[in-house]
Amino acid sequence: MTQDLRSEFHGELDAVRNDIARLGAYVVELIPRVTEILLQQDLEGAEYVLRADADIDVRTHSVEERALTMLALQAPVADDLRQVAAALRLAPEIERSGDLCCNIAKAARRLYGRELDPKLRGAIQRMSDQAQQEYREAVEAYLNVDAVRAAAIGDMDELLDQMHRAFIGQIFETHAGSAIDLQVAVQLALIGRFYERLGDHAVNISKRIVYIVTGWVPEHVSDDRQRAQAAAEAHTGHPGPG
Amino acid sequence: MAWLLGAAGVAGVAAGFTAGWILARRRRIAEPVDAPAAPVAPSTFTLLDAHRTGVVVADAEGRVTYRNAAAQAMTGTHVGVLVDAAVEKRLALSRHGEAGDEIVELFGPPKQVLDVVSRPLPDGGSVVFVDDITERRRLDQVRTDFIANVSHELKTPIGALSVLAEMLVDETDPSTVGRVVGRMMSEAQRASNTIDDLIELSRIELGDDRSTDPVKLGGVVAAAIDRVTELATQRQIDITATGAGLGGVGSPVIVAGDRLQLVSAVGNLVENAVKYSEPGGPVRIRIDPATVDGTEWLEITVADQGVGIPQRDLARIFERFYRVDRARSRGTGGTGLGLSIVRHVATNHGGEVIVSSVEGEGSTFVLRLPASQPAQPDPTPPTGPQPTTWSARQPTTQQGAA
Repeated sequence: MTQDLRSEFHGELDAVRNDIARLGAYVVELIPRVTEILLQQDLEGAEYVLRADADIDVRTHSVEERALTMLALQAPVADDLRQVAAALRLAPEIERSGDLCCNIAKAARRLYGRELDPKLRGAIQRMSDQAQQEYREAVEAYLNVDAVRAAAIGDMDELLDQMHRAFIGQIFETHAGSAIDLQVAVQLALIGRFYERLGDHAVNISKRIVYIVTGWVPEHVSDDRQRAQAAAEAHTGHPGPG
Repeated sequence: MAWLLGAAGVAGVAAGFTAGWILARRRRIAEPVDAPAAPVAPSTFTLLDAHRTGVVVADAEGRVTYRNAAAQAMTGTHVGVLVDAAVEKRLALSRHGEAGDEIVELFGPPKQVLDVVSRPLPDGGSVVFVDDITERRRLDQVRTDFIANVSHELKTPIGALSVLAEMLVDETDPSTVGRVVGRMMSEAQRASNTIDDLIELSRIELGDDRSTDPVKLGGVVAAAIDRVTELATQRQIDITATGAGLGGVGSPVIVAGDRLQLVSAVGNLVENAVKYSEPGGPVRIRIDPATVDGTEWLEITVADQGVGIPQRDLARIFERFYRVDRARSRGTGGTGLGLSIVRHVATNHGGEVIVSSVEGEGSTFVLRLPASQPAQPDPTPPTGPQPTTWSARQPTTQQGAA
């Protein structure tokens, strides 16, 4: 392969990485935006976000296609292969995160006109801040190909999970005090789940970054476990527990 | 591009020349420049790097050939990625001879508004300026909101007065007249309070008649608590004050300033804390010495566990007449000027006021004042053992610190 083709490949790879980063950065901005839409009951803003989602889908699919074309035509190896493979996994991850933000915007429409307890509003704001922080870390770790930064996101997400559990508790409490009806309580529980899922997507992105740098994926752990189990079964001659 | 012209002025060359320079530089050609300007010439790029406006230059093919320090600083952050997308878009348009700009609004926090402006260059390339217009946008908003809000705040009681007066014209029943007159008086009081606060605010804003006497902060806090004792008792709020120079414990903590203004500022913070707490909630006041960036400060912290302030309003609550919740503001009865007064008093004293809050969990305000010279010995030593904390329900003990 000539030098020219190689540099063309790297130019294309940079463009794909750039597009992934832009999609990710868009979600980093989208999280606080839909939270404000939700807390300020901004119907117009909700409409705007929902319309913009089609654009995200188009951009995601374009990145995926280009990554696939690169695989087919250039047959990259080692680092380059991991970058392309990661792009294929990251694009749908980010696209799904955009959808979650849209879900929050839709919930804002359904909750229109309902007054929320300041404590619940505060809890929503906190979850949003935490989810955004995780997502920003994930995008910036991807930009800087920083596996150490990426590895910390899993720990950050534990805090978001705690907030989510506490939020569900608060919903029960407020509902028991008859401050909100069942419909609102269900919507709020879903909203909590959306933020929690956004954090999970950030964690998934971070795992792909670790993979780009080290070639290691968490699935290896389950592979090893399965192999160890199979070996144990072969040794004792009967299936082990679990 | 005023700054660019300014740079040219310093270098003593025509403005057009400066643009030529940039091009020369990005082609990495060291061209000699006319005599007087020569020694200053490199500083143009130092200036470009020192400026907070991001500058990106691209050649005729759209390849980026130069970025100044401000444009590079964003690299590797999600903001940088979004700005790059806007810059790229502008460069593409600029190649087709289209000058123009694009606004990038970032949700932060903190919120940021960037203006990305492109201009074609004579050689077919383009230059893009990335300007942070957050503050300009905010000030525009403050200005328009202020006019609307001040009219609203004054119009409401005056409208009520005129309706009530009309009612009185044909009213003969003495008990109704009495009731209406009572309401008229309270509406008049409301208008009068607003105007009083406006006058106080403009006096503080001028800041010229402020005295710089040594003021004991313990006394300021005690006087501020005194002002809200009645309201606090009514709402069963428990006010606790602790810290240096309070209740006669330790040497008194002294700042140079205007006692009346300081009492007014701390009073406003304490009053808000009491107003926005749930009945029975605690309000904590502390005085702490603090060292920030090598400077000695004294901090008065007022913390409540009340409704808190939504994040989007946090940056704006110090504006005159800004209301987080208009519907509630009539119930709490403030003039909407309290926090503006606090901020101006802080600025007048060379300090600042800092707020942190989570909606539903409460707010914490810190009034930070520069510490004055080492505290002089107190000429009137405390007369007996004094409590270090007190409650608004026991107003008598407050005198100890005053």
